[in-house]
Amino acid sequence: MTSEVVTEFTVNGQAVRLDLDPRESLLDVLRERLGLTGSKKGCDHGQCGACTVHVDGRRVVSCLLPAVQVNGRSVRTIEGVAGPDGALHPLQQAFVDHDALQCGYCTPGQVMSGLACIAEGNAGADDDIREHMSGNLCRCGAYPGILAAVRAAAGRREG
Amino acid sequence: MTDTEESGDRTAHPWPPVERTPRVGAREKVTGAARYGADHAPPGLAYAIPVVATAGKGRITGLDTAEAAAVPGVLLILSHLDDLGIAPAGYVMADGYAFQSLQPLLDDRIAYRGQPIALVVADTLVAAVHAAGLVRAAYDEEPFAVELDAAGTETVLQEEALPLPFLADVVVGDADGAYERSPLRVDAVYETGPQHQVPMELIGGVAEWHGDTLVVHEGTQSAGALRGGLARQLGIDPDRVQVITPYVGGGFGQKNSLQPHLAPLAVAARRLGRPVKLVLPRAHTFHAASFRPVSRHRVRLGADRSGRLLAAIHEVDQQASRRDLLPATYTEITSRLYGISSFRGRQRHVRTDVQTPGYMRAPFEHPAAFALESALDELACAAGRDPVELRLSNDAGADPVTGKPFSSRHLAACLRRGAELFGWAERPPDPGSMRETDGTLVGWGVAAGAYPVMTVPVLARLRARADGRVLAEVGGHEMGQGITTALARAVAGDLGIGVDRVDVVVGDTRVVPHHLTAGAWGTNSTLLAVHAALLELRARLGVPREGPVDVAAAVAAAGRSAPEQDGAEVVAEALTKGPGQPPEAVDRMRAGLVAPAGPEYPGHVAFSFIAHFAEVRVAPAAPRVRVSRVVSVADCGRVASPVTAEAQVRGAVVWGIGAALSEHSEVDPRFGGFVNADLADYVIPVNADVGRIEVAFVGEPDFTLNPTGVKTLGEVALVGVAPAIANAVFHATGRRPRSLPIRVEDLL
Repeated sequence: MTSEVVTEFTVNGQAVRLDLDPRESLLDVLRERLGLTGSKKGCDHGQCGACTVHVDGRRVVSCLLPAVQVNGRSVRTIEGVAGPDGALHPLQQAFVDHDALQCGYCTPGQVMSGLACIAEGNAGADDDIREHMSGNLCRCGAYPGILAAVRAAAGRREG
Repeated sequence: MTDTEESGDRTAHPWPPVERTPRVGAREKVTGAARYGADHAPPGLAYAIPVVATAGKGRITGLDTAEAAAVPGVLLILSHLDDLGIAPAGYVMADGYAFQSLQPLLDDRIAYRGQPIALVVADTLVAAVHAAGLVRAAYDEEPFAVELDAAGTETVLQEEALPLPFLADVVVGDADGAYERSPLRVDAVYETGPQHQVPMELIGGVAEWHGDTLVVHEGTQSAGALRGGLARQLGIDPDRVQVITPYVGGGFGQKNSLQPHLAPLAVAARRLGRPVKLVLPRAHTFHAASFRPVSRHRVRLGADRSGRLLAAIHEVDQQASRRDLLPATYTEITSRLYGISSFRGRQRHVRTDVQTPGYMRAPFEHPAAFALESALDELACAAGRDPVELRLSNDAGADPVTGKPFSSRHLAACLRRGAELFGWAERPPDPGSMRETDGTLVGWGVAAGAYPVMTVPVLARLRARADGRVLAEVGGHEMGQGITTALARAVAGDLGIGVDRVDVVVGDTRVVPHHLTAGAWGTNSTLLAVHAALLELRARLGVPREGPVDVAAAVAAAGRSAPEQDGAEVVAEALTKGPGQPPEAVDRMRAGLVAPAGPEYPGHVAFSFIAHFAEVRVAPAAPRVRVSRVVSVADCGRVASPVTAEAQVRGAVVWGIGAALSEHSEVDPRFGGFVNADLADYVIPVNADVGRIEVAFVGEPDFTLNPTGVKTLGEVALVGVAPAIANAVFHATGRRPRSLPIRVEDLL
C-alpha cells in the first residue's frame, strides 16, 4: 500500500487539502475527488489534450501530472474560466460564435489551450495558432472553428 | 397520438426559412458543464479495469489472480472462472444488440489479441489499475491470421453467406460483355487499410442498481440497444434497464451497439451493491469495439472514346471476424453514382482472427468511393477528358439499378457549384504542371460521393408548458452532429417562438424508446416525427395548422376547455417510420433492434450526393502531402440547421484528410491485434494539418422523400474526400495512389 501524501493547492481560487496516493493523476483527482468533471480523459497518456488545465498559469496535460506535484500551486480548470456571474469568457463566447465544437468532449481542453496560446503570444498568425493548438485533438474536426475562435479572442482578423 | 407514415400534406404546413441558429448545448460544452457518461459519480463508486489477452488466439490454460486480489482495495475479480450468469446479447446485424456475437469472460476461448479476460474492481482507480497489471494468464496458443492474404483465412461470398435480397450482388445488364467490347478500359485494384473511429470520449460509463433496476450512464448511439441487450444478457425485463446518455463524446459508429464490458460491469455492481465506473484505457478501445475493416476493390470501367461509361465491375473483399459477417453494401453507391447501363458487383468476406469489424463513418461508401472515383480519374486521363466534365457527362437520370426515379438528385449541381467556388477552370490538365518556385508541387483533384437516405422509426413527444416553453422528448442521440439544434430549430420555427424557449431531451430511455442513431438517419427521421407531433400539438392546442403560436396562452385556453388536463401542459405524441415500412419496424425500434427503411422506397430511391474539390501541396525533398484547400458542395435536401450542417461537412473533410494521408491501424502478423493502439501512433489530423475548407449546399428540399424535405448529411460528407485528395496527389505528382493512406514512400 502506498502511503498517502497530504497535498494542498488551490483550484479555481478555492483552497483544497487532500490525502493523495502518489499515483493519482491531477486529472483523476479533479474528476473523481473534486467533482470537476469538465476536464476530460481522452487518452490518459498526454496525447490528446482533453485534460488540459493551467498550473500556475501554464497549460499542462493533467493526466500526466501526479496530483501530489501541485502541492502549493494554483490550478485553474474549465470550471474557473467563466465569470462568477456565469458570464462567458471572451474565448468561450468565441467558441460558441464560431461553432468551434461538435461533440464537446475535447472542448474544455481546447479552451484551456486557447487561453494559453493567446497568453503565450502564439496567436499572432493563423499558422502559429494552428501549430500551438495542435496538442489538442478534435475527432469531430472542428479545427477551422477553433482557429477562428482563438483568432477572434486574440483580437485579430483573418490572415 | 398520431401514427403517420408520410404526410404528403406539405403545402398546408410550409417550413419557415431556416435561420443560422447557434449550436444548442454549446454553452454547456464550453463551460465544462455538459455531463458525459463517465462524468457521473454517485456516492460509493467503485472502479473497474479490464485485463486483456496477450495471445493472438487459443485457450486460457491458467489465470492467476491471487496477487491482484491481494492488492488493498480490490473488491472483485470477474473472469470465466466465475459463473457470471450472462447470456449472449447477439450480433447487432443478426437480430441482436452487440457489436459482435462474442461475449468475453464466459469461457476460456481467446478469439483475438486484446479480448478481455478479466475485470478487476476496486475501491479506487489506482488500486484497480495496479491489480489489473498483476493478473497473470497462461495460454495454449493457436495459429491465427490477421491479414487478408495470410494462410488460414477463409473467403465466403456474401450472397451465399448472407442470403438477403438487399445484400445480393448488384447485377444490371451484361457488364462483363460490355466491358470487353469497350474501346477504353480501366482495370485496377484499390485498397483501404483498417482504421479505428477513436471518438475523443473513451468507451465507458457507470452501472448502478436502484433496487432491481439497472441504471447505465454511458455515451452511446444506441441507448435502446443497451437497454434491450442488457435485459437479454441479465435475464431481466427491459423496463428494469434505464440508459441515460444526454451527451455523447463522438460516436462515428464505434458506439452504435452494446459493448461487451457492460454486462460484466452490471454484474459487478449488483454483487457489490455499489455503483461501478469503467473507463476503458485508450489502448483497449482498439480491440474492445469495432473498427473499419480492410477492403480490397478490383474496379473495371469500360467506356467509349469520349469517356461515356458503358460498363462497371466492382468486386470487393472485406475483412471479417471468424464469427460474424458485417453486411457489405459497397456496390450500393458505385452502381448508382453514374448512369452506367451495365454493372456487376460482387462482395466477399475474408474471415480473420480479429474482433468483428463494424461501422465507421461512411463504412462502405468511403472505401467504395475511393476505388470508383480513383478509377474514374484514371479513365478521365485515358479519355483525355476533364474529370468534372467526365462526371457531368455520365450523370444518371433514373436509378440505374431499379429504374425508379431518384427522390432528388443534384450531383451535377454539386459538381458545377464546386468547380466554380474552387476555380477549377484554371486547372491545367497535365500532372506535375503546377509547381511553386521552391519546387513544391501543387495538384487539384475532384471526386463525388453518394450515401443512401434511410429512415427509422421515431417516437417524439412535445410538451407545451404553461410558461410558454416547449419540451421535446425524442428518440435519438446527440453525438455532436447537431441533432438537438435541428430539432429545437424545427420546433421554434414552426411555432414562431425563440429557440431558447425549446428544450430537447434525447438519449434517455426513461422518456421515449430509442432507435440506433447512425447512418446519418438521425436528423431526417427525428424531424419527421417532430413534424407530425407539431401538427398533433397544434390540434390539441386548438390553434391553426400554421402560423405563430402564443404557447402560454394556448396552453391556458386548452386547460380551461379540458379540465381533466391539469392545465400545466398540453402533450402531443407522434410515431413515424419510413415510407413503406411494416408495423414490425416499430416493434423492433421499441425492442432496441435496428430497423431502417431505404434507400429503396415504394416510389423512388433516395440518396444524398456531394462533390469535393481538393488542393494538395507536395513538398519537393521528402514528398509529404498537405491539403491546403478543400471545397465541398452537398445535396442533402433542405438544410435543417446551417451552422451544424456546415460543421458536419468541415469535420468530414478533416476525416477525409486523415483517411487519405495518415490513419492506418497497423497489424503485426506475429502478434495479432493492432499495434499502434494509442493516439500518438494512430495518427488523426491535428489543427496544423487542416487548411482552408469551404462548404456549400445545393439546398433544394426533397419533398418527394418526406414532408420536411430533409435528406441526410453526416455520412455523405466524408464520401469522396479521400479520392479527391488522391486524385489531387496524382495531378501534382503523376503518381497514382491506389492504397490508403498515401504514404511518403508511395511518392518517392
